[in-house]
Amino acid sequence: MTTIRRFCCDDLLRFTSVNLDHLTETFNMSFYMTYLARWPDYFHVAEGPGNRVMGYIMGKVEGQGESWHGHVTAVTVAPDYRRQQLAKKLMNMLEDISDKIDKAYFVDLFVRASNAPAIKMYEKLGYVIYRRVLRYYSGEEDGLDMRKALSRDVEKKSIIPLKRPVTPDELEYD
Amino acid sequence: MASKFGMAGGIPERRVRPIWDAVDTRQFKSALKLSTALLSKYPTNPYAIALKALILERMGKPDEALAVCLEAKDRLFSENVSHIDDLTLSTLQIVFQRLDRLDMATCCYEYACGKFPNNLDLMIGLFNCYVREYSFVKQQQTAIKMYKVIGEERFLLWAVCSIQLQVLCGNGDEKLLLLAEGLLKKHTASHSLHEPEGLLVYISILEQQAKYGDALQILSGKLGSLIVIEVDKQRLQGRLLARACDFAAAAEVFEKVLESRPDDWECFLDYLGCLLEDGKRWRGKKNFNHPANYEDSKSRLSDEVFNSRMSKASIFIEKLQAKAIDSFVRCPYLASLEIEKRKRLYLKAQGDKLRDALSDYFCRFGHLACFTNDVEMFVQVLTEDEKKELIEKLNASCESSSTMTTKQLGQLISIFKIQELFGILFTLSIGELETTARNMVKIFCENLPLSRDLDPQENMYGEDLLCLACNVLVQLFWRTRHLGYLLEAIMILEFGLTIRRYNGQFKILLSHLYSHLNSLPLAYEWYKTLEIKNILLETVSHHILPQLLTSPLWCDLSDLLKGYIKFMDDHFKESADLTFLSYRHRNYSKVIEFVQFKEKLEHSHQYLRAMLEAHILQLKQKADSIEEEELVLESLCSGIPLLEFSSEVRLNSLSFNEDTQTRPWWTPTPDDNFLLGSFEGDPSILGDNLFLCQQNQALKMKANARKLIERRSLLPRLIFLSIQSASSLLKENLEVNGSTSDDKNCSELRSLLEKYAGSLGLSFSAAVEEVVGVANGEKTLEARLFLNIVDWMNFTVFLNSWSMSSHEDGLVNVDGKKHHLWHTTDSIIEKSVADKLQYMEPLIKSAGGNLSILIEMITEPLAWHTLIIQSCLRSSLPASKKKKKGGPQDQFTLPISQSIQCSIESLGRTIEAVTEWLREQIDTTEDQCVDVLVALLHKEGCNEGPGQVLYALEALLSCCREQEHNDRISQALRSWNSANVLRNLVTSQKRILSEFHSICESKIKLLQKVKQQI
Repeated sequence: MTTIRRFCCDDLLRFTSVNLDHLTETFNMSFYMTYLARWPDYFHVAEGPGNRVMGYIMGKVEGQGESWHGHVTAVTVAPDYRRQQLAKKLMNMLEDISDKIDKAYFVDLFVRASNAPAIKMYEKLGYVIYRRVLRYYSGEEDGLDMRKALSRDVEKKSIIPLKRPVTPDELEYD
Repeated sequence: MASKFGMAGGIPERRVRPIWDAVDTRQFKSALKLSTALLSKYPTNPYAIALKALILERMGKPDEALAVCLEAKDRLFSENVSHIDDLTLSTLQIVFQRLDRLDMATCCYEYACGKFPNNLDLMIGLFNCYVREYSFVKQQQTAIKMYKVIGEERFLLWAVCSIQLQVLCGNGDEKLLLLAEGLLKKHTASHSLHEPEGLLVYISILEQQAKYGDALQILSGKLGSLIVIEVDKQRLQGRLLARACDFAAAAEVFEKVLESRPDDWECFLDYLGCLLEDGKRWRGKKNFNHPANYEDSKSRLSDEVFNSRMSKASIFIEKLQAKAIDSFVRCPYLASLEIEKRKRLYLKAQGDKLRDALSDYFCRFGHLACFTNDVEMFVQVLTEDEKKELIEKLNASCESSSTMTTKQLGQLISIFKIQELFGILFTLSIGELETTARNMVKIFCENLPLSRDLDPQENMYGEDLLCLACNVLVQLFWRTRHLGYLLEAIMILEFGLTIRRYNGQFKILLSHLYSHLNSLPLAYEWYKTLEIKNILLETVSHHILPQLLTSPLWCDLSDLLKGYIKFMDDHFKESADLTFLSYRHRNYSKVIEFVQFKEKLEHSHQYLRAMLEAHILQLKQKADSIEEEELVLESLCSGIPLLEFSSEVRLNSLSFNEDTQTRPWWTPTPDDNFLLGSFEGDPSILGDNLFLCQQNQALKMKANARKLIERRSLLPRLIFLSIQSASSLLKENLEVNGSTSDDKNCSELRSLLEKYAGSLGLSFSAAVEEVVGVANGEKTLEARLFLNIVDWMNFTVFLNSWSMSSHEDGLVNVDGKKHHLWHTTDSIIEKSVADKLQYMEPLIKSAGGNLSILIEMITEPLAWHTLIIQSCLRSSLPASKKKKKGGPQDQFTLPISQSIQCSIESLGRTIEAVTEWLREQIDTTEDQCVDVLVALLHKEGCNEGPGQVLYALEALLSCCREQEHNDRISQALRSWNSANVLRNLVTSQKRILSEFHSICESKIKLLQKVKQQI
């Protein structure tokens, strides 16, 4: 019983149980609101009975030419609602919008190289490690740039892994 | 005017770029140097001047920046400026905004638009200015102008949004919507619409006017194709049909949505609402993006129709269930529960169906952590017997096998949670409760190996058991008043955090437990590990803020308040720019949402309270010196602006944004703590269950919060007027005639006191009678005053001050009787403090809020009263007369002087008594305190009482085979040391005591100093 709908400002007041989790970053207000103002279709919340927030996904669409892509900025699920594939549903939804509405070539995301459970989950969802980004997180930990090709990228060119790692200043976006 | 190629504000780009670069890299000194050089070449160029202002502002020189900005503005407005470009204006705008002078920025843009009409850049800039100022009407006018000049769809939609804002957030008449509709209709007829959000705005305009038919027509026409996701369109269609009361058609649409989205719970409720023709569900649901509230209302259908509709729903739901291949789709199964619940509510029919449906749901989803959350709104309608039967059924249906699986563990936890929710645990005996808690801890320990392969950051299996065990132990404390149980609850959670330090719920529970045990520094330490920031400051601070407000940890409190207020203020500053971003990116629905959200936060009761308390904290900190106190009051404009916080409009529009779901059951709201009262052996204190209880408590909290804000907003002004009143007293005696301003102060003081008494539920005269009665011993403290004792003490203190300037000799006339209020005040303060002290046990052996009340008494009423005394004395010792022989003595032959002397003596006695108690506590060594705590947990040869659960836990750990765990868990188990937990608790209590002691010491010194002045 999961109602997935657009995230709205009031949800910021109700996502406590999700964000109290130490792995979920609570961004500043302009960060959330810029996403809402620019990419409302990429910011969704999953709600359970009693209007409880189960989890949410925020993302955007950006890039030019063949690097026009959807990007997952954050996806998170409250502890009580884990282990029932909610993140997968939210990811599929964002992929669907990138694919069908915005006709993007791929979806990508960044994950801490040490976050093994998350990497495993993304791999199960069809993401591959496209490249390693050295010291991406606060200049300390490496990040992995993971990608999944969408239908527009017929030859799956966007996900051919890079042979060498890159540094954060070499990133095109973000 | 657009910059010419390579030119910026009439200056070559290459000359300006280095300045911006320096600003961007925060090298303000070199930026200023470059700017000076630029100005020597372009001394009258407004852009060059604006750049200088920008740099000065960034350097922290607001006054200079403003002066330079005004110079730039004058240049712009001078006759010989041939063009004005947006670059100059936007640079000025940035500085004006940072200087909090939005009006000046608007003024510049207005001038420019007047001088160069039809310039789109400038008009957009002006529109943006109005967005920042929330001037919806002017926004609309500017947008319309742009639309007329350019004819673009987006400007029309900007205008339409501005109209909606006038109606929804301003004073605009609903008739304005007709104008918006007309504009859209005309544009659509000639140009059609091209943006999906434009269509949504169009539909919402029609919806707000209840023109559902028109909206549906548009949606099903050509424009409907703008909404690409079919299911979004269907949801919108369903809602419009339902709001138009075409329930049959709406139900059909919702059926379609459910077929493609079988897990959509909101949609199922919509579907059911349509079948039952429940119009309430859609009333007030104006905003497309806002979540609906769950409403459980009865429809007015005949039983026959009702039954047939419910059968229809059941058949449809069974179809969905049959099709659900995904094992995580819960909605169709929960839908069965909803249907059974409705039947029961509507037909008042009893029967086993709901219970059976719950039991089926348990078999399917009972192992999930969200099971209890899912079913909590259904179990409310069960009878007590049914609840018991259900538990039996759930127990029987638990899967059993020789080794526990994660699924079985999940089911067991769900049963415990349901028992807690039903209040069944409240009916158990002490022994049964101890066994239950032991059992919970045992299951947790035995199943630790299940988490062996998990990442340290992942939630471990069975963690909820420790929360449940903690709750049982807290209940044991509530029932027996034996502190050992609370210590044990703390141990269990500390142990849990030793194994995995990330569990937020453990930390929250610990914060509350340590607070209750007067170990606020530890509570705050755990709270800080939650790393609460940004919007969570608004929703989570309630776990610690109320305790800090009544503590002597003034530095921590000040930091917390400052951080929170800064977050809110920063948001208010940037919110309008984000609204404009929504306009620019054509997400019009967000425009309305952002403005409404900002208003909601502005009305946050916690924000208002924090602002008040930040000021009151300053007043408390400086109360030992009347001169410093007066400086604080001066910075608060004598408390006048804060009075506005208690206006009716403000109090009625308060918003409550705390997330109270994370609070423990024993303190469901910040102002309620069951543990302070006694356990009656009757779970009715919790309502029928915890779910209902939380809702009732929330209502109570809102009413209390309004009263509290009302009182606190009066406080700074009351202090100010009291000081004035006291200082004018002796002056009057000297000068014979009181001045007009004194009379004004006196009557204001009286009216504020009336308001203050009113917020405590009494009229002014009744309030006076009450305090006088208590002071004279005719009434007891336990009666009316007891609940808000500190507020009443404050009232008495200010009342005394008022009476000084209102009546000679400090007398007040009530019902023909005259009462001496100096004596009354002394008596109220002395009695109240003595009353508290009388029941104070050694801190190490006590729990609850007595210490905080004592702290409040000393840091508020006693402090304010001492200020009034200081004021009286100061006015009797004018600087010029100080050294004159006999001056002060002469004045102190007045009857009032005796009252003041008595008062000082009385305050001295009071505070000495407190200090003496504090010294006793402080003098007990840490080791002695730890021994007391250890004794609470250890009883030789006893198999019951506090400590058993902890022993069971430690015994289980000692016999755990290490190879069953991973290194991390094994290491954590080895490092666990319960003695350290007790020692930390003692250290934390000691800190509170010593902070409070130093406050008392400084008050004693002050009183001694004051005494010498007489």
